[in-house]
Amino acid sequence: MIPFDWVEPASLKEAVSLLDADDSTVRPISGGTALMLMMKPGFFVPSRLVSLAKIEADYSSIRAGGDGSLRVGAMTSLAELERSAAAIVNFPVMKGALQTLSNIRVRNVARVGGALAHGDPHMDLPPLFATLGARVSVVGPDGTRDIAVEDLYLGYYQTVLKNNELIAEAIVPPLNGARAAYKKITSRSADDWPALNMGVRLEMADANTIKAARVVLGAASERVTRLAQTESLLTGAIVNDGLLKRVSESAAAEARFVSDAHGSAAYKRELLRVYLPRTIKEALS
Amino acid sequence: MSETRTIRFTLNGRPASAAIQSHHNLVELLHQLGLFGARESCGQGLCGCCTVLVDDVAVSGCLYLALGVNGKSVTTIEHLDESGTLSPVQQAFIEAGAFQCGFCTPGFVLMTHQLLKQNPDPSEDEIRHYLAGNLCRCAAYPEIVEAVRLAARTMKQARA
Ligand SMILES: Cc1cc2nc3c(=O)[nH]c(=O)nc-3n(C[C@H](O)[C@H](O)[C@H](O)COP(=O)(O)OP(=O)(O)OC[C@H]3O[C@@H](n4cnc5c(N)ncnc54)[C@H](O)[C@@H]3O)c2cc1C
Ligand code: FES
Ligand code: FES
Repeated sequence: MIPFDWVEPASLKEAVSLLDADDSTVRPISGGTALMLMMKPGFFVPSRLVSLAKIEADYSSIRAGGDGSLRVGAMTSLAELERSAAAIVNFPVMKGALQTLSNIRVRNVARVGGALAHGDPHMDLPPLFATLGARVSVVGPDGTRDIAVEDLYLGYYQTVLKNNELIAEAIVPPLNGARAAYKKITSRSADDWPALNMGVRLEMADANTIKAARVVLGAASERVTRLAQTESLLTGAIVNDGLLKRVSESAAAEARFVSDAHGSAAYKRELLRVYLPRTIKEALS
Repeated sequence: MSETRTIRFTLNGRPASAAIQSHHNLVELLHQLGLFGARESCGQGLCGCCTVLVDDVAVSGCLYLALGVNGKSVTTIEHLDESGTLSPVQQAFIEAGAFQCGFCTPGFVLMTHQLLKQNPDPSEDEIRHYLAGNLCRCAAYPEIVEAVRLAARTMKQARA
């Protein structure tokens, strides 16, 4: 690694002003775990890092709304989210998903903003939050805009965020009785990077009839993706073995798979075929 | 840009300062100050050999910029026996024979301290889960798990 300029702004606004819309060698740094992994081998050579440490106090709260929603400051650590009673009570699916997200030291340091902004398709928080229909509030030089997590990603390490925009907060809407499940399938150890991860959120009309569905896929593809055709197959349908079979075939045909160190495209397709019915069953159990 | 910067922090309970380069990580900072208990092995956050506590939270020193500890409190493995006696966790690792070469041991010991502080009576599953980010190339895992249980028992007796 080679030296770089380091600044520690005291407000989010000041942080935005120290970033540069046209210069991608100037980056914000929150936990630094992802950036360090890229800086050490020289994949990323910063000219300046804008530390968000001094604004942590203002952006690290986890607040549960009376309606069952959740607001999470961008500087909340993943470990704090994992331990948060508010998060777990309103969204039981979060705990298990976070517990297998890397190891405890990484979760101690990594921040929600960094986890959502990095854009590595293997990561767990983006598909988990997209499944839950979460949005992020993003601050830039011209003010604040609101982006659905599912719309954040364009491709490998590419997001719709401008170089001088910062995630300030994530807002997870209430489940309102919807059922959610998230699965991470690893080909080596349990806390490894996934070969495939997947979330489903099902609103039920009655015990067996689905009113609305979200099906989100990560890791297997180039970016976090909602499987729209599969969702429409589920919408209004009665859950039975026939439906689960049709849905898993549809998802395997619809998703675009990428081979990598964690599995070939064909293997990931097979994983999706097997695990989607299991994830749906887990959500409904 | 390549000029050194001075950071001030608390190191093992005492005020410390160091002139560092922006790109140095926490392990490099500690080595500069003569503390070699935290070592960089994988360099990728996977193995835990570089475990250090920052404001009493366990971090991988290999992925933590030295600049980031400015104003914070850093605790290393060297702090545990500063009183002249080994900590109950260190003692338990010896009694259980929980190492061969010892390269991974400082990380496992610090992580065990953190685990037992948060969860004084962990199940085997909880122990294995908490230590999943620490690797031992000598594969002393069964003895390490035993050492954690032994330390939990000793600490419980000391409290009683
Ligand atoms: C050993 C290891 C194993 C891992 N395994 C997993 C895993 O199994 N699953 C998983 O999901 N992840 C895994 N990770 C990745 C980890 O989740 C990320 O490194 C972490 O979430 C990034 O957060 P950070 O705060 O450290 O980000 P940083 O490194 O600080 O930043 C990451 C990116 O986000 C940008 N950024 C940071 N904060 C903001 C903000 N507020 N607004 C806009 N942009 C911002 C930075 O400029 C940078 O581009 C692993 C990491 C390691 C080291
Ligand atoms: S050297 Fe830091 S975790 Fe392996
Ligand atoms: S004792 Fe040798 S690496 Fe663990």
